[in-house]
Amino acid sequence: MLVLDIVSSILLMTGIFFGFSGAVGLFRFPDFFTRVHAASITDSIAVILIIAGLLLQTSFDLNTAKLMFILMFLMITSPTASHALAKSARHGGLLTLGESKQQQKQQKEQMQQQEAGQ
Amino acid sequence: MHLGLWVVVLSLFWLLLSGYMQPMLLSFGAISVLLVVLVIKRMANVDQELKQVDFRLSIFRYLPWLLKEIMSSSFHVTKLIWSSPKDLSPTLAKISLKNIPKEKRVLYANSITLTPGTLSLDINKHEITVHALEAASVDELNEGAMERKIAGLWPKKGEEK
Repeated sequence: MLVLDIVSSILLMTGIFFGFSGAVGLFRFPDFFTRVHAASITDSIAVILIIAGLLLQTSFDLNTAKLMFILMFLMITSPTASHALAKSARHGGLLTLGESKQQQKQQKEQMQQQEAGQ
Repeated sequence: MHLGLWVVVLSLFWLLLSGYMQPMLLSFGAISVLLVVLVIKRMANVDQELKQVDFRLSIFRYLPWLLKEIMSSSFHVTKLIWSSPKDLSPTLAKISLKNIPKEKRVLYANSITLTPGTLSLDINKHEITVHALEAASVDELNEGAMERKIAGLWPKKGEEK
């Protein structure tokens, strides 16, 4: 049992680390789309590791099956949620970092042209 | 899809979630399974897009590979978070869908989103619009390791026969 406990706590700790990294990335990354990427770390690997760690804590009964179900549903729903967010942001007209830089550049050039015309 | 199969699947699901074997609770389970099957039967007439649920076991060969991909790209993105987010090169790209069978497009798009570093923004008949943290991950997708994996495990219906 001791070995299982150690493995399980290692899995939980690395899971927590990745979840924390995702949260930090959420603050450090520059725009919406890159932040979704940071959040997807918490969505994917942190969830997998934490549930794997919890699986080793069960006595391999019904709770194990329930945890597997949770993992399965999270693996289906979390990318769907990220996709829904990103898609609606895109369709709502939010520009990515590169695009908004380009737009600013164009606006600047237009302003300059107008000034030159006057 | 056979309603009988749904009965079996739903009963198993209910049993796994509850785990109680008293007659009263079992009968509640039976009633809810029956209700759901009734709804499915009625909805089948409305739903024009009937899909056979895929019972081939290829998914179990795909999942470990996807897990490995998630691991490696997670490490990569975590490294990006803790080093300097200034190094990012966010990219938009269109990935062609022509080699992916129609029923597996959702799987493909979701796998792209599930691997950190790439995010599927939009999907239509021919291509997926992908946002990537780094230009390198778009190149990786274009190389088509994931595409080949899916196309290899689930060959197009026409080619199979």
